[in-house]
Parts: sequence; structure tokens; C-alpha cells
Amino acid sequence: MAKLEFLALSVKVRDRTLLDRVNLSVASGDFVALVGPNGAGKTTLLKCALALRRPTAGTVSLQNTAVSELDARARAAELAWLPQHIRADEPLSALETVAAARFRFRESHAQSRLAAKRALSRVGALEYESRAVSELSGGERQRVAFACLIAQEASTLLFDEPANHLDPAQQLEVYGLLGELWREGRTIVCINHDVNLLNHLGEPERVRVVGLRAGRVAFEARLSESDLPARLGALFGVEMDSVRGTEQRYILPRVRRRS
Amino acid sequence: MKARTLLLALLCLGLFAAGVLGGQSLSGPEGAFIVWQLRLPRVLVGALVGGTLALVGAVFQALFQNPLATPDTVGTTAGATVGALIALTFDGSRTVQGLPLVTVCAFAGALAASFLVASFASARSVHSSDILLAGIAVTLATSAVASGVQYVSDSRALFAATQWSLGQLPQVGYRGVLLLLPICLAAGAGLLLLTRHLQAFALGEELAHSQGVDVPRLRLLSLGLGSLGVAACVAWCGPIAFVGLIVPHLVRLLLGPSYRVVLPMSILVGAAFLVSCDLFARLIVPGRDLPVGIVTAALGAPALVLLVARRRR
Repeated sequence: MAKLEFLALSVKVRDRTLLDRVNLSVASGDFVALVGPNGAGKTTLLKCALALRRPTAGTVSLQNTAVSELDARARAAELAWLPQHIRADEPLSALETVAAARFRFRESHAQSRLAAKRALSRVGALEYESRAVSELSGGERQRVAFACLIAQEASTLLFDEPANHLDPAQQLEVYGLLGELWREGRTIVCINHDVNLLNHLGEPERVRVVGLRAGRVAFEARLSESDLPARLGALFGVEMDSVRGTEQRYILPRVRRRS
Repeated sequence: MKARTLLLALLCLGLFAAGVLGGQSLSGPEGAFIVWQLRLPRVLVGALVGGTLALVGAVFQALFQNPLATPDTVGTTAGATVGALIALTFDGSRTVQGLPLVTVCAFAGALAASFLVASFASARSVHSSDILLAGIAVTLATSAVASGVQYVSDSRALFAATQWSLGQLPQVGYRGVLLLLPICLAAGAGLLLLTRHLQAFALGEELAHSQGVDVPRLRLLSLGLGSLGVAACVAWCGPIAFVGLIVPHLVRLLLGPSYRVVLPMSILVGAAFLVSCDLFARLIVPGRDLPVGIVTAALGAPALVLLVARRRR
């Protein structure tokens, strides 16, 4: 049974088509990496799943119930989201912020704080639990956001470019943690701009790569498939090379010849 | 932080006591009458109004994610002003069921204006910034109506309207307290129940939605309860500026940004602030009762600038 299902999903804003009859079925325990050029509709797709956007046509359903029908708390029990940008103007402490992410649980504040501490320690952010999120660095803030996501304890996790603006070590850390969450049995949909990072998840033959272009699903392949470089090249309109490294295969855009 | 909170709470209680006891020393039955029948109810009204305005200010600042939001932001005060003006123009001395017509009309006007904004806000697709704009639009439109009413009213009504617009704690005795109490209590308790919702708002509306907050419902509840409380306050006292703006900031600067502290402490500090401003208004010019709105504005504005400047350093 599909956990999260997009059925003929279309989103139009005035005369612009953001999504055009997208069909995508995510089964329990799947890892789906959404790739595609900017403006392909990746973020819109996630926002439709969260009922943050109303589709013009089609439906998104969560275990056979349309997400728009779900009560907010019931939806939050199934779906958690790490957005691309996080507003952090308020100088709330990291601990209070993560405790607030436990909103869906009807529990005491002490219980929320306890769970928040566990989540913070899991992402290695316990040392700055009492610092204000507005004063944290980009990498530190991303860890706190991750802790929020973990504290929500949802079974399906949606990520929007989780390694954006992070340094290489932090990027590896993020994808390592994603792999851990996945192996624990969570279902994950993750927008990604660098497929090479997906190798840090492990099990490349189980990672689904879905290419989106101009609001449509252009292709779907496994991360381990041999024609993935060619398909990614076609998706982005560049030539892609595949390079054998010591541990993994790297897919990189070829330098364009000047004519 | 806990010690600071406690200290601030004690200070507030001290200010309440000063509000009742401050002024000429009184003795005998006449003194007892002044303290128990005049001053105490006035302090109670001041505490209810100050606490409500400050709490609603804190809630609206969280809801709109805007530090400049105030209880007036959604047009409540502007609506009350029109209501009061209409009542004063027709017959300022009339009463309805024993209540001054001015109060009744101001209450109705405040609710009507906030209802306009709230009905706009309940639409699913709007953002918080749109509601703020709707509030400004309603405020401007109501001001136009107010100007129209002023144009046709006589000088006596205009003078009374000006007096009303200065903001003053009325000598209404315990009846006023009893009328305000249930409304302020309901609004306050309801808003305090939304603390967790508002805390989740700290990282933005969309993230709060994904964490399980029903955003349209939260908006409607906070706008509805907040406007109800403010409408009652404005109807009795006229517009009292700055309490709803500066008290939440003051509490945040002293005790940190957690709404679990800011919301309840805003009530207490707002109440103490208005009561002490009123004490000041009673004492500053001997023999005269200055409108408290003048004092809150005169004290509040520089206090806010000073606090913000100190925080920046």
C-alpha cells in the first residue's frame, strides 16, 4: 500500500503551471530523492503533501486519506518537514524551539523538554541548547531544525535541500543522519541538488531518484543504475560524466567546450 | 531567570498596593469610603484593562510575527472611536439598561471593526501580513467615518469626544469591575491556552502548520478573543496607547522571549504599569485628574527607546 500518493496532481498559478498531472507513489520505507532544475516544482510538490498548498486538480493522499481532509495534528503525526529556509528572528533558545515542535503531543512541558533534549543530543546540538536560535550559525541552526523534525516523531519525513549552504563535513553529516533515520524505518522524500551526496545513505540500489522538469515527472531510476548520468544530463540540459572513485561512482557535469 | 520573574511579580504587587494607598493620607469613615469605594475599584479596573491590553499586544505580536503589532492593529480602537463619537453626537448622557450609551456604542463599534478584519483573516489562503494590511485598511476606513460624524456634530459633542479619546480610567465603582471581569477573564484565559500554538509560530507560520498547528483556527481564536477583550477595555476607558505595545517588549527584554513566560507576565506587568501610570496621573497635578492615556504615552515612548537602546549595546 502506498504511504504517500500523488495522483494526477496539478498546480496552476494564473497562467503558470507549477505541477502538471504528477503521479508519484511513495511506499512505506522508501527513500525518494527529488531532483530537477530550479523551478521544476519540487518544493511545490512537498507543500502539496503538507496541505500548505491547495492543488488545482488531483489529490495527495496519506494512507488513502486526502491530506486536505486530515486534522492538523493527525497530519503532523505522519508527516514532518524540514523547509529550505527557516525563519529564526525570535531569540527563543534551541531547547524551547525543539520543545515547541512537540506541539502534536498532548503532554506536559517537562515531557516536551525531555524529548527535545533527546533530539538535540542525537544531532549533537545539546551543547548549545540554551543559546538563542537567532544567534546560531547556519550549520548549528540546521541541526536545531533537524532536532525539531526528529522531536515531532513522524513516520514520513520531507526534506527540502537539507544540505544547502553547509560545508562538506556538515553535508556528509546531514546525509549520514538521513541514512540513519531511513534505516530506522522512516519513509523519506528529499529534494536534492547533488546526487553524489545520496551515496552516503548506503544501499544505492534502494534509493529512488525521481527527476522533475517543468512540473512533470521526467524519469525515475535507482541511484545505482548505469544510465542515471545520461538521464540526469538530459534533465538539466548538460553532459554528465560518470567517474569511478575508490568507494563510489561520481556523477559530474562535463566542462563545456567553447566554440 | 526564575528569581527575576519572582522579583518582577513582587514589584507588580507592590505597585498595586501603592495604587490603592497612594495619595493623600486618609482617615475616618470618609477616608475608608475613598479607599474602598473609589480607589480600589479604579485600581481593579486599571489592572484588568492594563493586563488585557498587554496580553493582547503580546499575542498579536506573536501572531503577526511583527514587533510593532498592538491591540489596535486590527481596527478595534478605531471602531470603538466611531461608536463613541456617534453616541456622543446623538446623546452623550443617555443610558441603555443602566450602561452609558457611549460605552455600549464603543463596544459595538470595536467588535464590528474587528469582525471585518477577522472575517478576512479566516480565509484559508491569506498570510499574516495580509491581515495586518486589512487591519490598517479598516482603521483608515473607520477614521473616514469618524471624520464624517465629526463634521455633523456640534462643539459640545466634539469636546466630549476629544475627552473620551484621551483615555481615562473611569470612576465606575464595582459595577464596572463586575462588567469587565468576565470578559477580560474569558479573553485572558482563552488566549493563555494558545501559548503552545504561539510558541510553535516562532519558526514561522508554515513550519507551525507542518507541526500540527491549525493556523486559520488559531488566527480566528486569537483575533476573536483578543478583540473581545480590547473592545471591552476601550469601551470603558477610551483608547489607552502604548500599554499593549511596550509591556510585552519590556517583559521580553527582562525575562527572555519564551511565550510561556511572556504571556502571563505581560498580564501582571501590564496591570501594574497602568495602575502606576494612573497613580501618577492622579498625583502629578494636585487637585486634578490627568487622563491616564497621556501618562502612558509620555512614559511609555521614552521607556521603550531606552530599553531598545540598552539591549543593542
